[in-house]
Amino acid sequence: MSEATLIKPDIDFVKGVIAAGGESLKKCYQCATCSVVCNVTPDKNPFPRKEMIWAQWGLKEKFIGNPDVWLCHQCNDCTAYCPRGAKPGEVLGAIRKQTISQYSKPGFMVNLVNSKLMMPLLFLIPAIIIGIFANFTAPEGELVFSNFMPVHYIQLIFVPAFMFGAIVGLMGMMSFFSDMKKAQGISSGNLVGSIKALIGDILSHSKFKSCDVSKDRYLSHLLVFFSFVTLGIATSFGVLYIDILHVDSPFSLFGKGAIVKVFGLIGAIGLLSGVFLMISNRYKNAGKVGLGSYFDWLLITIIGVIMASGILSWVTRSAGLAEAAYLIYFIHLVFVFSLFVYLPYSKLAHIFYRSAAICFNKYSGREAAPGR
Amino acid sequence: MEKKIGLYICKGCEIADTVDVEKLVKVGDKEYKVPVIKTHEILCSPAGVEMIKNDISAEGVNTVLIAACSPRSKHREFTFPGSVVERANIREFVSWSQEPKNEDTQALAEDYIRMGVSRAKDSELPEPFMLEELNKNILVIGGGITGMSSALGAADAGYKVILVEKAPEIGGWAAKMYKQLPQSSPFEGLEEPSAKVTAERVTSHANIELFTSSEIEKISGFPGLYDISIKTSGGTQQRKAGSVVMAAGWRPYDAKNLSHLGYGMPNVITNVEMEEIASKGKILRPSDGKEAKRVAFIQCAGSRDSNHLPYCSAYCCQTSLKQAAYVREKSDNSIAYILYKDIRTPGQYELFYKKMQEDPGVMLTKGEVTGVSEAPGGNLYVDVKDTLLGSDIRLEADLVVLATGMVPNTRIDADKLAEWKGIFDEKLKASGGKPDPNAKLEPHKVPNILNLEYKQGPELPILEEAYGFTDSNYICFQYETRRTGIFTAGSIRQPMNMLGCIDDGLGAAMKAIQCVEATATGHSIHPRAWDQTYPEVNLQKCTSCKRCTEECPFGAIEEDAKGTPFHKMSRCRRCGTCLGSCPERVINFKDFSIKMVSNMMKNVDVPEEGLRLLALVCENDAYPALDAMAKKREKIPSAIRFIPVRCLGNLNLAWIADALSRGIDGMMLLGCKFGENYQCHFIRGSELAKERLGKLQETLGRLQLEPDRVELVQLSISDYDKLPQILNDFVEKLGEFDPNPFKEF
Repeated sequence: MSEATLIKPDIDFVKGVIAAGGESLKKCYQCATCSVVCNVTPDKNPFPRKEMIWAQWGLKEKFIGNPDVWLCHQCNDCTAYCPRGAKPGEVLGAIRKQTISQYSKPGFMVNLVNSKLMMPLLFLIPAIIIGIFANFTAPEGELVFSNFMPVHYIQLIFVPAFMFGAIVGLMGMMSFFSDMKKAQGISSGNLVGSIKALIGDILSHSKFKSCDVSKDRYLSHLLVFFSFVTLGIATSFGVLYIDILHVDSPFSLFGKGAIVKVFGLIGAIGLLSGVFLMISNRYKNAGKVGLGSYFDWLLITIIGVIMASGILSWVTRSAGLAEAAYLIYFIHLVFVFSLFVYLPYSKLAHIFYRSAAICFNKYSGREAAPGR
Repeated sequence: MEKKIGLYICKGCEIADTVDVEKLVKVGDKEYKVPVIKTHEILCSPAGVEMIKNDISAEGVNTVLIAACSPRSKHREFTFPGSVVERANIREFVSWSQEPKNEDTQALAEDYIRMGVSRAKDSELPEPFMLEELNKNILVIGGGITGMSSALGAADAGYKVILVEKAPEIGGWAAKMYKQLPQSSPFEGLEEPSAKVTAERVTSHANIELFTSSEIEKISGFPGLYDISIKTSGGTQQRKAGSVVMAAGWRPYDAKNLSHLGYGMPNVITNVEMEEIASKGKILRPSDGKEAKRVAFIQCAGSRDSNHLPYCSAYCCQTSLKQAAYVREKSDNSIAYILYKDIRTPGQYELFYKKMQEDPGVMLTKGEVTGVSEAPGGNLYVDVKDTLLGSDIRLEADLVVLATGMVPNTRIDADKLAEWKGIFDEKLKASGGKPDPNAKLEPHKVPNILNLEYKQGPELPILEEAYGFTDSNYICFQYETRRTGIFTAGSIRQPMNMLGCIDDGLGAAMKAIQCVEATATGHSIHPRAWDQTYPEVNLQKCTSCKRCTEECPFGAIEEDAKGTPFHKMSRCRRCGTCLGSCPERVINFKDFSIKMVSNMMKNVDVPEEGLRLLALVCENDAYPALDAMAKKREKIPSAIRFIPVRCLGNLNLAWIADALSRGIDGMMLLGCKFGENYQCHFIRGSELAKERLGKLQETLGRLQLEPDRVELVQLSISDYDKLPQILNDFVEKLGEFDPNPFKEF
């Protein structure tokens, strides 16, 4: 036998995965039912069976440049069929969290963001930053949010916040992609074609459709995804009106900047219903796959609060309830800021890493023709 | 006593729908003048049973012939103390397996009545054999977990126990552990070894006499009265006992043979050595006393390996999981690697496996360990191929533990075997390569534990393929051995864990008690536990040919200086092998004899045309198989009449000669399977029948009959579905022969 590679099991990695929501990790006894029932895994070297034992053994280097944990969409078919209650879906989620810290720099941010203990601090810091710029002396006169927080302040805070999140995420994504190439020994491929195919997958949500147990997630994720797109469009129109056309907010559904309001409202309702569906699906499937971890619920909460506070601030403003409106608007800003800044550290980081993994799978030719 | 037979014919269970019951009555009445003949709609009903009881008390019936279902049914209903009861099975053998209301079916039923009446005439009430002197003490050999459980079980039940242990202290392996596996639900946490507490109970028990540092020098006698010599440090002690439980235990497989797994290197130890280390505190490795924080357990070290122990020892997986818990409890960042072929945790230990699996520091993979080699700093590299990790791996460990298997103490030590072989070879050389036929230099295959004074040798026989485990008919009676009254328990029977041993010890104690009690009342012990008959020898006609003493599977017959056989009756299991072996036909039972079967055969009606066949059927397996077949309403040829025998070892060639000379066209012998994996409770009854048949060829030739007219079929109880085919084939084959020429006479 040729000399085998010396493996270096790391018990801290095992404990980390367990702490990150993979407490069922060690129950796996390698029957591979999970890999058989999984509808999104490639046929060759399927997941999540092998990931389970690597994680049990604390072989963290196996997860560097490993696309598979990100190919998983956590539809939890595996968890539903696991005879030992090892919940591979949840464990892979926990492993993903561990690998995020390898790519979203600085890594400790991931643990900070996803630690229950840190939650107060998590929102306190954005609150202080925004608080510095906000005008808490309850502006008299017309109830306009720019009285509370001028638009240029918003831009001053939120554009860098978003850019920070996006750049950290993109850098992580690129570093992940190059690690995958290295780890899998792939040097070339059709990157443009892969990206095109990836966009096709994302827009059609085709991966979600193949799930069995949590197939309802197709609709909820689709709603959330396109609602974000819609809100993005609303924001772009807002920028167009304010910065280019110099039309000041507030906009009105039936007056100036109506288009911003229309898109905003559609996005808000879509997102709210998407989040509502996600929560109800989780409860509906809890018996089969569990409720999910803190990691999952943090993101759901942030998005939920953003949408609820967004709509409420509009309602209270229209109703002329100044104090309530300003307070809710403040909360809204804090959570939007959090969403942006924590983008690469929260569950939302999947935007970068799952996209990279799917793209790499196409790039490397491992993914067979669609329609599995 | 004058016999008065009552014939009772049942009409239920389809019997009256398939045969003409009145004609059966006529057979009894006209042909045999049976004084009392009655029919009943449902004979086993209270009214039916009451009718028979009335006849016994009012009419003086003392021999009851029940023509109804199989004797395997309704035994309780048709038991009439003080009366001989015989059964004619016209339900299974006629109504359920033949075409209804047809001439052949009727003739078959009538023959069963004829054979039944004939049998009833010859059958007598048993008079139980009673020992003049009886001792109900129980000797337990081995003071390990099994022996202690056995001793306490018997002692708590009120029996005096003699416990003999070779070592200075009782407790065995179980007392040497650091901690033991959980023995009760939820089977999760480790426990303090309970063997020490058990040992204290044994030591202080009023019913247990304990001999430590002692061995058995000699056991002579028989169940109910064994004479035992115990060699103690203070000289030989004599004791008596009624039965024996042998729980000689096990030893670990010699790890010196496991150099391919690194044994010999200072930091490669066995699971037994691991217990010693853990008992002392931290897991300190032998080479430098450094605390071992990465411990690799190699499972099946020398087990399930044709070069070492080909079997699974059933305890090593749990034990390694337990020792992994030692490693983990001593340090939070320690790692226990368990490298297995398959994890096997019998019984409830799956729960413990699950529990240990959840520990973050317990890392398990299937795989084949290909080598253990030195790593820097006194550490070790373990190479494993075909792992679940998806590649061959090498891991570094501070300590390697080999999970070695169990060798029963009934297996001869390799060193001793070599020593004996050496002596043998030397003598062989000295004699010029010619083995001395009188010198018993053949190396013993068994270590001396029991030292029985038996014709068959001092120890229990060990089968060739049993790796030193004692022979046991584990399907039915796992403690049963070939020496009546001697029961084996624990890991000399098969590899087992502590819980298994505790149960096993208790089970064997119960069998030992059953044995002395059955002996005290003149009953046979398993499998004919109800039987109070015994072989009676008409010694005046005995020619001292010693055939019975040779063939008795249980050593129940010995011979005196003149060669005259005598039975040590409590060793006898009433199989009747002696009855079959005797050329003078002088061995008989009260309710089963050569004459009885001959007469039954003679009473079968042999028509001038058409086939008539007989089948001798083993009561233990073939008969129930026939019943099961009939229950499934499989149809079989009407030409065959079945005659039950205790064992095919009963086969006496006189029967065949009698039957064939009367015009019976052919005979089948339905018995058990041969060979080492025999299923026969009487060890080799059907094999003996086969041997005897070989001698028959000549006789048949002299009678100008085809030897193929007699066929022996090996069956097991589960072969009932094959029976119709077997019977049909035989009938077809006989149909090709000419009719038996003796029919005319």
